[in-house]
Amino acid sequence: MFVWGESEGELGINFDHIWQKTLTVLNPLKPADGSIMNETDLAGPILFCVALGATLLLAGKVQFGYIYGMSGIGCLGIYALLNLMSSSGVSYGCVASVLGYCLLPMVILSGSAVFFSLQGMIGTVLALVIIVWCSLSASKIFISALDMEGQQLLVAYPCALLYGLFALLTVF
Amino acid sequence: MHPAGSAAGTPRQPSKRRIPVSHLGMADPHQLFDDTSSAQSQGYGAQRGPSGLGYPTASASPQAAFLADPVSNMAMAYGSSLAAQGKELVDKNIDRFIPVTKLKYYFAVDTLYVGKKLGLLFFPYLHQDWEVQYQQDTPVAPRFDVNAPDLYIPAMAFITYVLVAGLALGTQDRFSPDLLGLQASSALAWLTLEVLAILLSLYLVTVNTDLTTIDLVAFLGYKYVGMIGGILMGLLFGKIGYYLVLGWCCMSIFVFMIRTLRLKILAEAAAEGVPVRGARNQLRMYLTMAVAAAQPLLMYWLTFHLVR
Repeated sequence: MFVWGESEGELGINFDHIWQKTLTVLNPLKPADGSIMNETDLAGPILFCVALGATLLLAGKVQFGYIYGMSGIGCLGIYALLNLMSSSGVSYGCVASVLGYCLLPMVILSGSAVFFSLQGMIGTVLALVIIVWCSLSASKIFISALDMEGQQLLVAYPCALLYGLFALLTVF
Repeated sequence: MHPAGSAAGTPRQPSKRRIPVSHLGMADPHQLFDDTSSAQSQGYGAQRGPSGLGYPTASASPQAAFLADPVSNMAMAYGSSLAAQGKELVDKNIDRFIPVTKLKYYFAVDTLYVGKKLGLLFFPYLHQDWEVQYQQDTPVAPRFDVNAPDLYIPAMAFITYVLVAGLALGTQDRFSPDLLGLQASSALAWLTLEVLAILLSLYLVTVNTDLTTIDLVAFLGYKYVGMIGGILMGLLFGKIGYYLVLGWCCMSIFVFMIRTLRLKILAEAAAEGVPVRGARNQLRMYLTMAVAAAQPLLMYWLTFHLVR
């Protein structure tokens, strides 16, 4: 009698929005629409975190504790910074959601770590490119959602530090 | 139960319509759950039949039936009001310990300001005017004046210093993640000690300055930029690179601190640049020199163990 909702609205997961946000992340050079962050959803980010953990596991590193710890503290730091830097505040869920979405390129990096070791020059360059990609996407979304002008690089830098930590975890 | 329910909850979800149990004339409204164990339920179901037409108009989703139950509605309303209260409590308490609006001034920066300030930290010798511009008694936001102190650069520099220290230890195979925590705590402890020492000496010298604590933290945090430069050069080029860059950054931060603090501590006389007379002003000058001289020392102390 109690049928599990077959349409997405039942579970509260809007697959179309998830796909749109993913596309925004995958193309860091296209300007983002400010309204995509109006509903905070954590389904995509959780999926990406699990994917990251899974690919790390495949590469032989079992470090879920560090992933959770680092993401929690990093999100908190960026939440504090964005609240202080922007004129309108931002909720913790929104920050976690954006950072989680922009973790997608990192999943690509750790996926490639399964096939070849990243400790050489190629690995370092690839890691740097992925870090820049992640932080540019994240800062682009934050800037458009919070309406901050002239601060994209300033927002990108702490995001780059956070993603750099993830990259360290992946490479070493 | 109903009056209590409607009184406790203020924001209701408009999309989920509540169907009060009593209106459909079904079970006892004080019953907390549907009793499906006996024939009572048959009567329940039978009575539901004719008014089942009312259900599709209520909501198409099966969750509405669950939420139509007044208990869960009340629980949800209570939960959301509790969350709102909790958030209010946290905000109020945070405001007591951390002056958020004052801090916001120090983070009103943009990329151009940060670029210029970093340039000033590495090469302060050509900058002429160190005075902060005022606008109707309040200092102008850092965005508009490169002389104004900000907290973005010190905060980022501090975090980067901890990470770069971790990196340096990692290349020497002395890294473990708890070492990062240790580095962070010890750097924070040194910073706190420094701030307290300077505040104490300002108090003892009975100087009236408009140098607030947050300003002081900002100024003391600028040296981390030079430290990061030194460590990175040390990683790339060994001890020679480290000493060269650190030496340069020490000189720059010394000049920077003197020129900035002079305006804050030696307020009246420094504006004209005339030699100051009197014991009080001399004391202030010594204090400024001491603070500025402490910076290079601390820069060396906090980085030499990281570069081999």
